Amino acid sequence: MTSISVRRLQKELTEIQNEGCPVGINLLKADDFQTWFFTLEVMGDSLYQGEAYTLMFRFEPQYPISSPAVQFVVSHDKQAPIHPHVYSNGHICASILGSEWSPVLSVVAVCVTLQSMLASCKKKERPPDNDRYVRTAPDNPKKTVFHYDDDTV
Amino acid sequence: MSSREPLWYCHECHAEMRPLMVPDPVCASCHGSFVEKMENPTDDPRQFGQEDDPFTILGGNNPQMDNFLMGLQTLMERGMNPNNRTPGAGGGSGMTFEVRGSNGRTIRMGGANTLGRGPDRPPRPPVPNMTDFLGSGPSSPGPRHGNDGPTIGGVLMAQYLTALLGGRDPGLGNAESGRMGDYVFNQEALDQVITQIMENSNSHRPVPATEDVTENLPRDVLTEGSPMLEKDCAVCKDQFKLGTDDPDEQVVITLPCKHPFHEPCILPWLKSSGTCPVCRYALVPQPDQHGSPPHPGSSPSGPSGSGRPPYSPGPSERSGHGSGAGLFQSLFGGLTGHGQNHATHNHGTGSPDPRRSPIQGPQGPQRRGSEPSRRNNDHLPGSWSEDLD
Repeated sequence: MTSISVRRLQKELTEIQNEGCPVGINLLKADDFQTWFFTLEVMGDSLYQGEAYTLMFRFEPQYPISSPAVQFVVSHDKQAPIHPHVYSNGHICASILGSEWSPVLSVVAVCVTLQSMLASCKKKERPPDNDRYVRTAPDNPKKTVFHYDDDTV
Repeated sequence: MSSREPLWYCHECHAEMRPLMVPDPVCASCHGSFVEKMENPTDDPRQFGQEDDPFTILGGNNPQMDNFLMGLQTLMERGMNPNNRTPGAGGGSGMTFEVRGSNGRTIRMGGANTLGRGPDRPPRPPVPNMTDFLGSGPSSPGPRHGNDGPTIGGVLMAQYLTALLGGRDPGLGNAESGRMGDYVFNQEALDQVITQIMENSNSHRPVPATEDVTENLPRDVLTEGSPMLEKDCAVCKDQFKLGTDDPDEQVVITLPCKHPFHEPCILPWLKSSGTCPVCRYALVPQPDQHGSPPHPGSSPSGPSGSGRPPYSPGPSERSGHGSGAGLFQSLFGGLTGHGQNHATHNHGTGSPDPRRSPIQGPQGPQRRGSEPSRRNNDHLPGSWSEDLD
């Protein structure tokens, strides 16, 4: 008996492999149904022109009932984009990854949303509470309950 | 312990650890300095404080300890409540208390008070003293020495003293180092308090549907020729079909917003959030979120799940991608980073109660975003702007 997440992710993966990802989004690695990696670039005019980021998705067996844990990969050669809703440890404060997640959303839909979040950014800056958050942040961003109180950025 | 190196014990974390030597040993996790090397097995710090009431070790029926605590109470009453203070000979308010040991010796402690001294200072409101703390405790303040004084329960005393000394107090929650109740003494402790508050806040969490609600949802068993067979379930994104391995997958639940799902797909979701995954129709009232119109609580976007956003969400969006384009609307709006769309959404707050939106949608359940083949402009429902803008 395969779990609901495997069936759903297999379907998404097949679709990605058959139809490709939207422009600027590329599947980097999907060796299993626990962790997937994508590269993300913002196309067109934006503050992030020419920059490429890596997104990591972590799935629970309850996916898509439970949201994926999504963050930018931060390593020796990878950085999280500087954005008011992206912490320097790669965690992302986006309501659709938390309380506004819906099983109708998909991995690629999340990628597109994050791409759009970057594309619409007007000023490259870290969240005001970046230092505090990064100091105490859990490994898994899903353990953080973000407050989506800033609609202005 | 198999390790050859002696372990250390942090009295603030109440845990064993290997200390950081910087250069004095501090706890690796809390950076507290109240650490002890565990060398002597007869004096194992882990034993200390493991009693429910640490004061049973010291207090209990030990009159010496009672005396000490009485004296401390007197000190606190005098020291913290200026109204009770008797002027001392030296101009300040001297405070002394003494402990009489059973061996006949008396230990006297005290001296001139340096707290709040000065005759010109207006009397401060009394700080709750031990008598207040104990509530039903003895009402007559003043020095009491000897065994005829009232007995104070060790547990209460322990709480009072730990609160007083800023230590861990089980009654005040899991106080970390630098914290005492609502008080914090350093940045780290403040961070922890904020994090805790954030995590405890469930004001934004979706409210699950009750069993009453889910049990009463209309269920259909798929049959040959059912129009359902042309639709698919937005959760698993599979088409409804006959002859599945799991007979439950032939049971279709249609939510009041007319969106159909496999029963085994939708029920787990409703247990975490009582909303339609496609249009966020609220089966049970959802918490008000951040006041932005396109959030699930206050503005489910109606049944028009196949609606595309009235703007182009980005150059990268590929047509036909992203099942449940209805969600795009709410997710773009709900995403807190998407400022440029907010300008177009903000006036939505004046729209009629969005929870009623399911009945105003012109689209039937056939128009669903999870059918990529159907998602073209001819399906663009007009209800998006009504519901969300």
